[in-house]
Amino acid sequence: MPLLEKLLRSKAVIWTLLVLPGLWPFWPLLVTRNPTTGADPLKFLLHHFGFVACVLLAVVLALTPLRVLWPQSKPALALNRHRRLVGVASFAYALLHLVAHVLHEGGTDPARVAAIFGTALGKPFQLVGLITFTILLVLTLTSPHAALRRLGGRRWKNLHRLAYLAAALAAYHQIYARKLFPVQVLWIFVPLALLEAARIIRQRAMAK
Amino acid sequence: MLIRSPKTWELPTAAVTPEALYRLTQRRDFLKTAGVGLAGAAFFRSAPLLSAATAGFPAKENPAFPAAKLKPTAEDYITSYNNFYEFGTGKDEPKVFANKGWKTDPWTIELAGLVNKPAKFDVNELVKKIGGIEERVYRFRCVEAWSMVIPWDGFPLAKLIALADPKPEAKFVKFTSFNDPNSAPGQRQANLDYPYVEGLRMDEAAHELAFMATGLYGKPLPNQNGAPIRLVTPWKYGFKNIKSVVKIEFTTTQPKNTWNIMQAGEYGFYANVNPKVDHPRWSQASERIIGGGLFSGSQATLMFNGYEKEVAPLYKGLDLVKNY
Ligand code: HEM
Repeated sequence: MPLLEKLLRSKAVIWTLLVLPGLWPFWPLLVTRNPTTGADPLKFLLHHFGFVACVLLAVVLALTPLRVLWPQSKPALALNRHRRLVGVASFAYALLHLVAHVLHEGGTDPARVAAIFGTALGKPFQLVGLITFTILLVLTLTSPHAALRRLGGRRWKNLHRLAYLAAALAAYHQIYARKLFPVQVLWIFVPLALLEAARIIRQRAMAK
Repeated sequence: MLIRSPKTWELPTAAVTPEALYRLTQRRDFLKTAGVGLAGAAFFRSAPLLSAATAGFPAKENPAFPAAKLKPTAEDYITSYNNFYEFGTGKDEPKVFANKGWKTDPWTIELAGLVNKPAKFDVNELVKKIGGIEERVYRFRCVEAWSMVIPWDGFPLAKLIALADPKPEAKFVKFTSFNDPNSAPGQRQANLDYPYVEGLRMDEAAHELAFMATGLYGKPLPNQNGAPIRLVTPWKYGFKNIKSVVKIEFTTTQPKNTWNIMQAGEYGFYANVNPKVDHPRWSQASERIIGGGLFSGSQATLMFNGYEKEVAPLYKGLDLVKNY
């Protein structure tokens, strides 16, 4: 087995790749003590975790088109073994993002934390975040094999198609979180959209 | 500039922070040693721009604002966490890109429009003409729901208005910032409409709180904070506090302001800090304290950013929900 494929098949490697972005904030916060980061560390974490959640959501959705477009590619196949793990990691970062948001706006006072959820319901961009989060939560809860068996393949598949909706909503949420259009949204979601388009064209062609 | 009775908006001396000295003055025994205090003043107030403001320092603590209540933000944060889109939209970018060859000295500022004495001044001449600078420690509240406490150096805007001698028909003051795409990468990207413009009603501009800052922490303004001269209206959101001003014009009609041009639904002309009027995308009821760390950095936002007593009369009868 070539090295790349071997690495990509390894659970340990993928776990490491998924955990590293969560450790990255320690670098500016504790090691280089960047004053811009330290000025509002929770805001930094909030942005960082939200960003990683979006990236991983785009990555997990890109795995299927990669496999369809390059069916012979061993690395694409190897990566596809980890779809569940990457999807759950995206949820985990979304959860960290939510925790950072709650601490950021409400601290640890229960009354103020409750008020935050009230605020989120009244602000379209935050409501969209909440819906995205709920979808990721449901998909994570139904990700074990047991859930697939109980739901049945077709229903499970339909349910998990919600991941596409989640990605669209996450892109909207990320755009409207900013005062000006954030270019990184394009880096994350344009490649995914292109891959999906190519996959659809390929599958239509094969169906003929 | 002798010892004078403190105004309610004056924050305690302790707030005037070159940080080491701040800690020292916190110790009563040190304060009692007047000679040492003077030596300290000479030590950190030696920048040429500031000579006019050193007299009387350190001032007496204002009991209305006990030092324990308002903690000034560390200088490093004030100069590293900036919104200055002319130099990029990231908070860290102005510090880098405003200090790559952008020249803020010499700097000319123009008084124009409906005035009896239109003029152009070099900013240092202007400071001399105004009669020097003083120090004011103000709260600073960004529309993005974060806040700092900043020790500014500068002079009241009212003094500059008096110098321009506006005609009776002047009802508004329009401020224009610099336009130099060669030095300012954000202007090259045209991430906003440039030059940045702002405006105040005449009575707002003449209010004793309205301030033209030329320094902070006892030193001339760093480029990323709007060198060499910027507006400070502490009861309004940060974006009203236009940086690096080149022109001040007196007009009959309400001037446009940049963020209002960009997104009128989110940023108004008045932009008064108001915890009861939310931004469409987030709450304004509370704010993050810059430098507050992970778990203790949030506080309730005050009406008019804590300057309600002073400025509320300006807005009697004005619907603050409509005029956000
Ligand atoms: C649970 C509900 C959620 C809430 C209440 C929420 C809240 C927020 C808030 C308040 C911001 C803006 C922070 C600022 O002022 O700059 C934000 C930004 C963001 N959120 Fe969420 N969010 C939620 C869910 C999600 C999810 C599920 C994702 C991704 C899958 C996500 C990704 C992002 C991204 C990428 C940003 C932009 C960060 C940046 O501007 O750099 N959020 N979110």
